[in-house]
Amino acid sequence: MKKLLLLLAMAVMVIGLVAGCGKSADNGGDKKSGTIGFSVSTLNNPFFVTMKEGVEAQAKALGLKVKIVDAQNDPAKQANDISDLLESGVSVLIINPVDSAAISTSVEAANAKNIPVITVDRSADKGKVVAHIASDNVKGGEMAAQLIVEKVGKAAKVAEIEGIPGASATRERGQGFHNVADKDLTVVAKQSADFDRTKGLNVATNILQANPDVQAIFAHNDEMALGAIQAAKSAGKTIFIVGFDGTADADKAVKDGTLAATIAQQPDQMGKIAIDTAQKVIKGEAVEAKIPVDLKVVKK
Amino acid sequence: MDSKALQYIKKLGPLIGLILLFIIISVMNDSFLEFSNLRNLLRQVSINAIIAFGMTFVILTGGIDLSVGSILALSSAVMANLIVTGTDPVLAIVLAAGAGLVLGGINGLVITYGRVAPFIATLATMTIYRGATLVFTDGNPISGLTQDPLFHGFGQGDIAGLPVPAITMFLAFIALWFVLSRTSLGRKTYAVGGSEKVSYIAGIKIDRVKIFVYALTGMLCGIAGAIITSRLNSAQPTAGAGYELDAIAAVVLGGTSLAGGRGHIVGTLIGALIIGTLNNGLNILDVSSFYQQVVKGIVILLAVLADRKKA
Amino acid sequence: MEIVMSGIAKAFGTNQVLRDVSITLKEGEVHALMGENGAGKSTLMNILTGIHKADAGKITIDGVERTFPNPREAELNGVAFIHQELNIWPNLTLLENLYLMRPKRNKFGMLDKKAMLEEAQNTCRELGIELPLTTEAGLCSVGHQQMTEILRILMLDAKVVIMDEPTAALTERETATLFKMMRKMKARGVAIVYISHRMEEVFSECDTITVMRDGHTIITKPTAEISVDEVVRHMVGRSIDEFYPARTTTPGEVVMSVDNLKPEGFDNEISFSLRKGEILGVAGLMGAGRTEIMRAIFGVDKHNGGTVTVNGSVLNCKKPEDAIKAGIAFITENRKSEGLILDFSIGSNITLPNLSEICPSHVLDKGKLNSFADELSKKLGVKTQSIHEPASSLSGGNQQKVVIAKWVGKKPSIIIMDEPTRGIDIGAKRDIYDLMNELTNDGVSIIMVSSELPEVLGMSDRVMVIHEGRVAGILDRCDATPESIMTLATGGQ
Repeated sequence: MKKLLLLLAMAVMVIGLVAGCGKSADNGGDKKSGTIGFSVSTLNNPFFVTMKEGVEAQAKALGLKVKIVDAQNDPAKQANDISDLLESGVSVLIINPVDSAAISTSVEAANAKNIPVITVDRSADKGKVVAHIASDNVKGGEMAAQLIVEKVGKAAKVAEIEGIPGASATRERGQGFHNVADKDLTVVAKQSADFDRTKGLNVATNILQANPDVQAIFAHNDEMALGAIQAAKSAGKTIFIVGFDGTADADKAVKDGTLAATIAQQPDQMGKIAIDTAQKVIKGEAVEAKIPVDLKVVKK
Repeated sequence: MDSKALQYIKKLGPLIGLILLFIIISVMNDSFLEFSNLRNLLRQVSINAIIAFGMTFVILTGGIDLSVGSILALSSAVMANLIVTGTDPVLAIVLAAGAGLVLGGINGLVITYGRVAPFIATLATMTIYRGATLVFTDGNPISGLTQDPLFHGFGQGDIAGLPVPAITMFLAFIALWFVLSRTSLGRKTYAVGGSEKVSYIAGIKIDRVKIFVYALTGMLCGIAGAIITSRLNSAQPTAGAGYELDAIAAVVLGGTSLAGGRGHIVGTLIGALIIGTLNNGLNILDVSSFYQQVVKGIVILLAVLADRKKA
Repeated sequence: MEIVMSGIAKAFGTNQVLRDVSITLKEGEVHALMGENGAGKSTLMNILTGIHKADAGKITIDGVERTFPNPREAELNGVAFIHQELNIWPNLTLLENLYLMRPKRNKFGMLDKKAMLEEAQNTCRELGIELPLTTEAGLCSVGHQQMTEILRILMLDAKVVIMDEPTAALTERETATLFKMMRKMKARGVAIVYISHRMEEVFSECDTITVMRDGHTIITKPTAEISVDEVVRHMVGRSIDEFYPARTTTPGEVVMSVDNLKPEGFDNEISFSLRKGEILGVAGLMGAGRTEIMRAIFGVDKHNGGTVTVNGSVLNCKKPEDAIKAGIAFITENRKSEGLILDFSIGSNITLPNLSEICPSHVLDKGKLNSFADELSKKLGVKTQSIHEPASSLSGGNQQKVVIAKWVGKKPSIIIMDEPTRGIDIGAKRDIYDLMNELTNDGVSIIMVSSELPEVLGMSDRVMVIHEGRVAGILDRCDATPESIMTLATGGQ
């Protein structure tokens, strides 16, 4: 019995400790006090971590409180997270949706409570959103294809490594890529690697096995591109690989010369703009419904 | 302390834990105990709880079902597809449960007639069902479902101030509690887990009992899938990934032995509430999501350790 | 080395296993230790090798009084026990098994496989045996595993080697090799204690025979001065007193006939019949296949051919549920693993096979269940405060009564009882015998597998003796004597 009490006491301490040090802002009455809620799709991906850091940095600079919840790529968890945020009383909700369709009901729930919603990176299919902040993925896909045409040449043999099937980024980047590639390039293979580096390595290895004459690879994100680099290395080939997102790892790979280029999004900018927009919304200022964030080609 | 009192405390252990958790969180943030948040909490708990009810039956027979998340996704996709193609939404919900029943039944058949260990069998079907979901949906979420209020209400609505998923959860709980403690089928579920050999020699049709528990779990996953579909107003091909672990955690937190034969669905309800309360409470307390996972793991470990100390 | 054990006594709880045992083991002598199951042979040897502690008596080795604290210590001092369950790691090679506890190392502290292999091969050659030393033990025959164990002990320079039923699992050729090894050991001056039921082996290989019964040493004589009949008489020597209730039932027509049944793993076909209200005793040595036959009839284990006819209709003995439907009940020998769910309450155990009869609607009626269990529990005299106590809280005898109760509740016409009174106290035994009489009076037929000869003789209307997987004979009550049964059971004519 004593041991049981000890265990319980330990449990209390652990929760207390974690609750104390894990907090991103100081405590206090939150209701309608200008706190911003931020639901991020996942923190298992450096891109969204950078976005989160952008949010945190800008909020600190502006002296705003922000509550951050991580959906771990599960739309149902995101719905729970958002209802928790709404329950704990936030003035503005910034959502980085796991899935555009699934987020609709949560946006509608916020609408019903008159909490303004800003979406970042991925949009919501339904519900009222005051602003959507995103890179122009279609344009980014086109930029990637054009770069390959420029550097490798017209009708070059290209493989495309796609993201999670059905994800909006996959659809849009693919669409942009094909806008150009279908005319000017030969796409010999098209496989999904779920935005994951390990899967990118495997998929690229398989593609290179089947199509040894591939000259260039376009991966829908940097993680998969970095996997593809490893695959090319093991196969002993020099391939023109283009990634997407512009993560720190990808930047380094571009500097090292292993990655030809990455179409860099600026997640920290997205996070910063999201907080700026949120501040405007709190102050009652008007904001643009679509706020594009610049993409840039990072190459050596 | 005499053994009777100790036994009693052992049974009450999970409940005491839940109450303590409530006290700790509400002391640290007063908005936690507000009625609207408790409703919110129940809505969030319902999906895991419904799956965990089925998992309790499976674990009581000494088995395990890893395929619950995939069954949820596939039946959710089937349901969304039916709705998109014009099936009556209420009928679609019933058919989703039916799809789950069939998928779970397949698990049962593989395990009994195929003589495959439950862990392996459901590990395989987990992958198969997930793949089938991706094939079926082409990897895309199915959205643009119906505006039918009955369908919407199933995941999002309230009746008499209570969220509909929570009502579904309580109805399932009552029905399954009855099956488990008041029918011969429930008794046989325990018997198979207590000793398969004794049950077999006593003439119990252990294959039937096993197929029943897996089919039941599948059906409950179908229902949970229907709730998610309504809640998200779309079917996600990746829905339910990792849900098997939450369900197993709820069952274990509730004091059911993974070796089978011992435990109860009442504990599972409390276990699911503990996990849900942690998720909700840590969000409300604004604990960093990285720490949240650490805390959840520690709580599960402490619960199991405390259970062992008392035994 | 000469070992003298004298006045040894040992009790486990209230069960006095050894009362007054004396035995002398001499250098270079093969000493047979004989007696019925439960006579105390293994306990005696366990005391010698330090597994158990004697309550009284003393052990002297070469004139010095000495007891070993544990088997390892005994082994290091040259006294080794080769149990029926061999001490072998199946995932290691025979060589690794040999040197597991005392590996040879080279000067770098690494295992010196070459030196070990050489030494082992030399010892094998010396003993005239061949062993696949580099093969995994699990892939080797039982005979090879056993030889490895003997080899391991000899390489420890054993002076006294105890073997418990060493030939039980061996083929004829392996047995011959074993005997060859034993003779070599004997020539080296090793004393061997040979525990066996097999008369022919004992008489051909042993120098001295000691017979034990009920915890006493009855007689010790050189093999040349004693006959098989004398040994058997000493082994079973007690009279069957009034301990067993008088049989009052006259068996009626045949209710079950087993024809040419071939349980899996059997070379022979089994045929016998059972009459209404009869108790058919099934006797035989351990491992003779009695249990296997019963399990095949009940459908727990598989069989290859043959039929079982119950009350005129052929029984499809594929699953226990079929046998139960035909009115057969089976009380297995392992009540803890096959008879009871120990976590379940007494009541839940009793009602388990009867759920659909008590509650045809499949909704449990607690009142009915409780009164059903209560009635049977009282009828069998289960000693407990309440039927809601867990089955694990009961003593062995009461647990057995619960197992019987759950089957009696099914109102079977045939009950197979495998070792119904093993490990339970005298009082509970008598209760069970009375119940068996009561059941047969009501027309129930019973097959009773038992290793206790007095029980078989005291309770059976007929006795079927099994020897090495075949029916060695079926004796009527008037022809069944300890001698006739033992003769059949040991393969005599």
